[in-house]
Amino acid sequence: MDGLLSVSGLRKVYEGSGRRVEAIRDLTFTVDAGELVCLVGPSGCGKTTLLKCMAGLLTPTSGEVLLEGRPVSGPPPGMAVVFQEYGRSLFPWMRVRENVELPLKQKPLTKERRRELVADALDSVGLGDAAGAYPWQLSGGMQQRVAIARALAYEPDVLLMDEPFAAVDAQTRADLEDLVRGLWRDRGITILFVTHDIDEAVYLGERVLVLSASPTVVQEQLKVDLPAERDQLRTRVAPRFAELRTHVYEQIQAAKRGVAGA
Amino acid sequence: MKQTHIDDVRPESAPPRRAGRPGLTNAALGAAGLAGFLVLCEAVPRLGIVSEDYFPPLSRIADALVTELADQAFWTALGDTLTGWALGLAIAVTAGILAGVVIAVVPFLREATASTIEFLRPIPSVALIPLAVLLYGTELRSVLMLVVYASFWQILIQVLYGVQDVDPVAEETARSYGLGTWARVRHVLWPTALPYVMTGVRLAAAVALILAVTAELVIGAPGLGARIMIAQTSQAVPEMYALVVVTGLLGLLINVGARTVERRALAWHQSVRGEVAV
Repeated sequence: MDGLLSVSGLRKVYEGSGRRVEAIRDLTFTVDAGELVCLVGPSGCGKTTLLKCMAGLLTPTSGEVLLEGRPVSGPPPGMAVVFQEYGRSLFPWMRVRENVELPLKQKPLTKERRRELVADALDSVGLGDAAGAYPWQLSGGMQQRVAIARALAYEPDVLLMDEPFAAVDAQTRADLEDLVRGLWRDRGITILFVTHDIDEAVYLGERVLVLSASPTVVQEQLKVDLPAERDQLRTRVAPRFAELRTHVYEQIQAAKRGVAGA
Repeated sequence: MKQTHIDDVRPESAPPRRAGRPGLTNAALGAAGLAGFLVLCEAVPRLGIVSEDYFPPLSRIADALVTELADQAFWTALGDTLTGWALGLAIAVTAGILAGVVIAVVPFLREATASTIEFLRPIPSVALIPLAVLLYGTELRSVLMLVVYASFWQILIQVLYGVQDVDPVAEETARSYGLGTWARVRHVLWPTALPYVMTGVRLAAAVALILAVTAELVIGAPGLGARIMIAQTSQAVPEMYALVVVTGLLGLLINVGARTVERRALAWHQSVRGEVAV
């Protein structure tokens, strides 16, 4: 199977205290190198479960995840995750610089190279001068930027983002969306962006994967044929954007009713 | 899926400690209260409300204290007590932290040790005095045994609470970035447990002093406790009180010292940093 990241026949069943919950039934999709794919689905559809399986944090019941053709059995070195709960994902006992640097210490890099990567990553999220601060001295949006910088410095092949902007205010969110688009275009990294926000998925993605309600399957795959240059004002009022978001919205409504993809 | 915005989830370790914002009035009230107490200690025996034989006025205690301070033997006794305290505390802290982290990291150990800990912990250290005497007589080791036994549990229990407090998101973040077990212990588990450890050390430091003095008093191991005992048996009542005052001051200093260390080490922690306006 082609693709940088491929998920095939993934199934996850939680068993516990006499209850058996099938969170994911059968998921198959691939993400090519350099793509920006958004995963969107109704709430409770197992997005986080899927992401944790891909990140090697959870073992699937069956099926497999391949990164560059190699099965993922634990957290793979070529992958970084940005979590929704930035306040808990950043370590309050470390300064911003140390937070970004910590994962790099697991790699065979010289001290100079580490410093370069940290400074470069912080600059590219616009936080070059916050390196000496503690995360809790920063606003929510800035904290999430730090988490993104930490992921960038790690130089992953694939960046997984789990509803990263669900907890920030709307204006910050728009800025962060443009930041992610910008980083994706400048750095050519592959991004898989999980969200429950349809507009966000359409605005950000080159491709949108619509998931069904739990037990989850892929409801639909949709190519986003909007121009590469996107703009919070113009893109969001473009007729094509409206068509796409309406389409995704309908798919999600259908998914909630349990109708198979059209 | 959790949608809540969680900024202030870090539960407080042990009793809430407020960053000092004393204000002049509080300091003045405190000083006035202490002065009042001292005056009372002087006046009550002088007025004959209690017998001066058993409760000498403050001025005589102060005289005795000055005499003590000039005596080389006093300083030796103080050194002995502090040695027992510091050594015992150091052993208890090291052992408590190591045991706590190992129990936390090895999954089945927690269940396996829980009931044993709950059984051993409530045994008062002083109940072990006969055993200590049998084993070590009046040596320093007797004191150490009691000090270590009493303070070890304070540390261990706090470490066990602390390691349970690791945030799953922080843990997953560390795992996703490929941090191994040791790196996660060092960078996630240890800093998370540190506020609890600090509380444990502060409590243990106080308990260790109590046990060091108790052991000297009862067993007769050299130190301030033994000196109090000698003063009492030789009817040197003001000297006895002077030594009691010294042990009190020691306790005070130890507590202040422990709090200072705590504040320095936990500058990042919510209990110390307070609310930050963003």
